[in-house]
Amino acid sequence: MKVRPITTIKTVVTLIEEAGAGIKLFTLADPDRWELPPFKPGAHIDLHLPNGLVRTYSLCNEPADNARYVVAVKREADGRGGSRALHDEVAIGDVIGVSLPRGGLDPGAGIARHVFIAGGIGVTPFMSMARHLSRTGDADFVLHLVVREEMPLAAHLAPLIDAGRVVVHCTSRTGRPDLAALIGEGGADTLVACCGPEGMTEAFEQAIAAWPAANVHIERFIAPPPVIDPDAKPFTLSLARSGAEIQVRAGQTMLAALQEGGVDIATSCCGGICGACKVGWIEGEPVHRDRILSPYERERYLMVCVAGSDAERLVLDL
Amino acid sequence: MLDTVSAGSAQKTAQLGWTGVVRFLHLAPRAFLPMRAAETITLVAGKGIEGDRYMIGNEEGFYSHKPEEGRQVTLFELETLVALKRDAGIELGPEEHRRNVTVEGVPLNHLVGRRFWLGETLLEATRLSVPCRHIEEITGKAIFDPLINRSGLNCKILQGGTVKVGDTVRNAA
Repeated sequence: MKVRPITTIKTVVTLIEEAGAGIKLFTLADPDRWELPPFKPGAHIDLHLPNGLVRTYSLCNEPADNARYVVAVKREADGRGGSRALHDEVAIGDVIGVSLPRGGLDPGAGIARHVFIAGGIGVTPFMSMARHLSRTGDADFVLHLVVREEMPLAAHLAPLIDAGRVVVHCTSRTGRPDLAALIGEGGADTLVACCGPEGMTEAFEQAIAAWPAANVHIERFIAPPPVIDPDAKPFTLSLARSGAEIQVRAGQTMLAALQEGGVDIATSCCGGICGACKVGWIEGEPVHRDRILSPYERERYLMVCVAGSDAERLVLDL
Repeated sequence: MLDTVSAGSAQKTAQLGWTGVVRFLHLAPRAFLPMRAAETITLVAGKGIEGDRYMIGNEEGFYSHKPEEGRQVTLFELETLVALKRDAGIELGPEEHRRNVTVEGVPLNHLVGRRFWLGETLLEATRLSVPCRHIEEITGKAIFDPLINRSGLNCKILQGGTVKVGDTVRNAA
């Protein structure tokens, strides 16, 4: 039997807690409780759900709590299915593959004061940051939590509210707060961050329009499109042997496109030096970028992990 | 000509009688997990390290789908970590390079195809390790280029046993 590559961190669900307002907290850990890959405060991970969906959630626990990943998931009845699957189908003991953590606050960025603005369940990335900053005392912070009526994760936020670090704004009673007033005056050592629904992030963007980009962080519920090299162009791979045509998106690697298209390619370093993914090319204008093929070899071969194409169509010997 | 030079050079290395020492030992039971330091590890002949992700029969490593006899135990030079700091300004800890054994005073690049003792265990070096993008993904450090040609050594285990920090590494030729 061919062994499949391991592409995710194997975790098991060790705890599921009801956290109010249709939210459940899921605790994920290594099967042997080994330490998990480290993360920055406010980082997020992808959960590869048993039904095949891949969904991104912020980590709520702090980096020092390094043997578990805790995510808060609000059940969205009309969402795309990820939160329903987690709420309705996932149980303690289930195995869930997760990605390496991404994003989060950079420690030591010279920030002395943080102003966090969260809308509803958008509080999750700030819980990790708030817990981290409270414990380490590295920088001052205040978290403004804007909710319509019911507060998410009330029990978990209570210590921070009692300590005066979280200010709750209930819009059903007091209306929407003036974000510019909450943010106040900026300075080079102040970072303002917002996570919430689209209307809130738009209002936030207006309020911080004059701020330098380095002092502003916005986290959206729906991931923005990936940043793509403006010079990158899509192209078509034509596979001479199988007759298949595979589209390579702008900025995507040929390797990723082939794998998405179900073509099994051997890989190892993925950086153009080991030679595992060498493939013959027949027609087109490849851009090589590897560091091992000789000029003579480049007339016939390329490395699909790093190579690109200057022409719209590239014919491979596959 | 090249064969003669190579053979002579390898012989000279053996004659110089280098002796090295085990400085750090690390393992991880599954892909992506942080490497954990150990004072001792147990090598099983023909299989791997007890509790490590590349132990044959219990493959849970990032490269386990590409079986390789020489991945039973991997070594790395402490001198490379020093060089990374000195030449590239990159701080890389012995737990970050993801090889199992960090040695000092051992010319790893000279040992391909040769046998040597790691404490009480006997190893045979099969090939040099190649850096991979996976390690940059895990560490978040741009170490792919600086590690080319000094990314460690892959070995198979001919004679198993216990390896401890401080053990001697010596040629078996």
